[in-house]
Order: sequence, then C-alpha cells, then structure tokens
Amino acid sequence: MPFDALVLGFDTSAAHCAAALVSGDRVLAQAQEDMAKGQAERLMPLLEEVLAQGGAAWSDLAALGVGIGPGNFTGIRISVAAARGLSLGLGVPAIGVSVFDARAHGLPRPLSVVEDAKRGMVYVQHFGPDSAPALSALEDVVVAEHITGTGAGLLGAVPLAASVPLAVAIARIAALRLGTPQPRPAPLYLRAPDAAPSNDPGPVMLS
Amino acid sequence: MPHPTDDSWTVLGLESSCDDTAAAVLRGTGGGAVILSNIVLGQTELHAAFGGVVPEIAARAHAEKLDLAVEAALESADVTLEQIDAIAVTAGPGLIGGVMAGVMLAKGLAAATGKPMIGVNHLAGHALTPRLTDGVGFPYLMLLVSGGHCQFLQVVGPEDFTRLGGTIDDAPGEAFDKVAKLLGLGQPGGPLVEAEARKGDAKRFSLPRPLLDRPGCDMSFSGLKTAVLRLRDTLVADQGGLHAQDRADICASFQAAMADVLAEKTRRALAQTQAPVLAVAGGVAANQVLRAALEQVAAAAGARFLAPPLKLCTDNAAMIAWAGLERLRMGARDDMSLAARPRWPLDQTASPMLGSGKKGAKA
Repeated sequence: MPFDALVLGFDTSAAHCAAALVSGDRVLAQAQEDMAKGQAERLMPLLEEVLAQGGAAWSDLAALGVGIGPGNFTGIRISVAAARGLSLGLGVPAIGVSVFDARAHGLPRPLSVVEDAKRGMVYVQHFGPDSAPALSALEDVVVAEHITGTGAGLLGAVPLAASVPLAVAIARIAALRLGTPQPRPAPLYLRAPDAAPSNDPGPVMLS
Repeated sequence: MPHPTDDSWTVLGLESSCDDTAAAVLRGTGGGAVILSNIVLGQTELHAAFGGVVPEIAARAHAEKLDLAVEAALESADVTLEQIDAIAVTAGPGLIGGVMAGVMLAKGLAAATGKPMIGVNHLAGHALTPRLTDGVGFPYLMLLVSGGHCQFLQVVGPEDFTRLGGTIDDAPGEAFDKVAKLLGLGQPGGPLVEAEARKGDAKRFSLPRPLLDRPGCDMSFSGLKTAVLRLRDTLVADQGGLHAQDRADICASFQAAMADVLAEKTRRALAQTQAPVLAVAGGVAANQVLRAALEQVAAAAGARFLAPPLKLCTDNAAMIAWAGLERLRMGARDDMSLAARPRWPLDQTASPMLGSGKKGAKA
C-alpha cells in the first residue's frame, strides 16, 4: 500500500461529527462540528465537504477509517453503518478504530485512556503494557503514569492533550493497518444492552 | 440509468425497522415488477429471552447484518451493485436505532455509487404490496396489521392514503405476544396461540369485544389482554394452576374475540368505502381463524379478498423496493440529509391515534 494512500476518517461516537482526509503525513482537510443530535443527517454532507476541500472524490479513496467507540451507542452505529455502505459501494476497506487507539495515537507510554461512561463508570484501556478495553467502576481504576480521555477529570487527573484531532488519528491508524486483513468495522460497546429477561414465568401447569 | 418514466428500473430495497434485517432486488416491468431476490435475516432468537423485541438488541444486530443482507440479495439476484439503478430504504416509522442503521447504510451505498436513493415509509411498503403481488389498481381497502401497527387505510395512490381507523392502544400482534407470555407459551405469540386455540373451545370463556359497540373503525385490544390476565389469575387461584385444556380454551376464546372485532370493524370499513378489494398485510393474514373471518366479511360485501404470500406480508425489503419504485416513477428522490423517523403517519391529515404527545403521531 503506498505511503500516501488517501484515507477518509470519521467519527460520531460522541456529541460531534468529525472527519479528516489524510494522505501519509499530510492532513488534506478536516472538520469537526459539535452537535448533540442530528449526526445522521449531517454526517454524509460533512464527508462530502471534507472530500471537496481536499480536492478528492469518493473514488480516489484507498480506505475508510471509522470510529467504533466506545461512546454513544446510536452515534457509533451511525458511522459504522455509513462506513459499511461506503465500503461496499466503493470496494475499498472500512477499518474500525477504537476511541482508545485514536486517543493514544502519538502520546507517550505508559498511558491510560479513560472515557466517561456515565453512571459512575468509565471505559478504560491501558497502553504500554497494553490491556484489553474494559468497562470499569470509577473507584476500581488504577491509572498509568500518563492519562488522557474524557474520563480523566472524573479521576481528578489532568489529561494529556491529544496529539492530533480525533478524526485525523482515526484516518492515520486506518492507513497504518491497510494491507493487513481487517474485520468489517463493528461497534465496540463494552456495555450490554439494557434489557431484563422476562420475569413472568407463566402459570403452573397441572397435569 | 433508465429514464424516470422507464419501467425497467432495478431497485435495491433495505428494511430494518423492527427485528428483521432485510434486503431485496426488484426489477420493474410493464408497470409492475419482478422480485429478483428477497433476503430476510431474522432475530427471533436474540429477543426470545426478553418476551418481546428489545430495541437496543435489534439495533445492534441490524448495524452488523445489513451489509451482509445486501451482499446476499445481490448475489441471489445475480446482479452487481453497478447494475442497480436506485436504492430504496425504510426511513420510518419504527425502532429508531434500526431505521437509522438502514438509512446510513443506504446513504453510504448511494454516495459511493452515485445512485439515487429514496426513503420509504414502512407502512407504505405494506400498503402497496398488493400492487406488486396482484397488480391491484387504486383505490382499495387495506387492513394493515404489522408489529405495533393496526389500521384501516383507503389506498388512493403511492403517496395518498386515508386512514379510516385503527387501534388506539395495542396491536393484535402485541396482544397475541402478551397472551402467549401470560400463558407461558413462549414467543412469538401468534402461531403459538393459534396452535393452542385449535385444541380449545372458543365458547367456554366470554371475553370482551372492546369498542364493538362504538361507531367507526377504531379498535382497542389492551382490555382484551387484561381480561385474559384476570381469567388466568382466577383459574390459578381456584385450581392452583392451569390445566392444558384451560390454556387451550383461553387461547380459543381470545382468538374468537379478536376475530369478532376485526371482522366487524372491517365490515364497517368496507361499507364506508365501497372498496372493490380488501387486502390484508401482516401476521393477521397468517392466522387461519382471523383470515377466514375477514374472507367472509369481504365476500358478504362483494369485495375481492387479497392476502399477499406470507413472505411478502410480514416484514421484508421487496415491499420497500416496490414502494420506492412507485415513488421513483413519480419523480421522487431524497438527498443525503434524509432523516430516520421513529414516527411517520401515512395519512398526515388524520388525527393521531397513538403517541399523540408533543412529538406527534407515531403512525
């Protein structure tokens, strides 16, 4: 895969629509708009704007990088579904990149990425040495020397500033993974759906 | 790409508004269309433990199955994506997580290929199916019973529907599911309650026929469900449990009440519209007792009874591709700002029956 492969990265895993078009080390165009809702309507027009700004067309892309969370369930699905449709239509791979990998991009190790998971919980992954992504109670988190992410403040820590905007990191990581087999992008939820099994066992049946 | 007035559009349809992930390919011909493929990936087993469809579980499955369904539909139709002329997708009403996944996948496909995309009302998909399967002309009367919906529609055109009435609370499908749950029969309730009812005596228990004494075509099934709950609890309190025959008799009595209500309201809708055709969609068409009652009413009114094959009566994407084709032929198109809508009444002028809060009518 050429070093300057054109990759479009995007993310709607939180209250934003973010996109970046990269080619190797160069960021050709990028945009991030904060919004609490409306990402499903805004995402595709935003991607087309970023492409146009970078002087590229859909057919020029070598790959797509898509944020898979963890984060807002619906938001993650908006981007993942769009990425799967684009991938199928363009015949190029869509590569899922977690918020952890994106935030850790270009930061020193050992590093903990901590994301606010609400309800007294955080999503955590440690890098150098690496751990698996996990959902954890706030009080159970033991962080590494460096820390970043939206949940850092919950632990009373000052987060490291990101090395690059989220969508740029997603696009760059996707570019690095190009050429190796990649699964279809799938949301990284880390939290089970809220659903309780039916509690009515039904009547006792008599013989 | 064919000219808009050309008949031979090849349309890819997508459906993900409830618990079926579906994709289909359809080709227009002579004012009608042939179905080239019709793929439905169900999720029944994912929801079985919860006694009903869990929206978040459904949305998760749709997001990771839709593209697989599309690939399967293209392969089964022996058509490449390049040979598709337009993409039609359910844009509502329904469980918003799933609808959104479908709309975003369609947008991705449309942006990547430059093909036109059109958002379809799921209910219009059901309501227009008799034109796909039987070439029925406008107008006709539709009894649409799908998932949480139950309404009578006078179908006047591809975008022209008049609602005559519908349920003001539960839909029949929900009532069947809840009765099955109350009686420990498992899910989905429709076929299980029907099978039990076959062994039972429909006259043993007298259950209410809600709203039967009121004029008009509105229906209510919530009270019927509650009556079944009370009946069950009374029997359990008296006997310490239910005998198999009790359960069969309750099912038969419940189904008879449902049939009486649907038949009488359908009779009124036919009288009011003088429609030449009564078409039904949804699980109601699969229930032999309900179907027989409706056939009888249609015959008495001199109307032709029409129930599309079950595969096209329950949720599917061929009906979405077809409804999309009907709108495409009228010149309709949607752009990349197409919204997924949890609520989207077919008849925009009728007063809301369900969910009439500040967000507007559900359907």
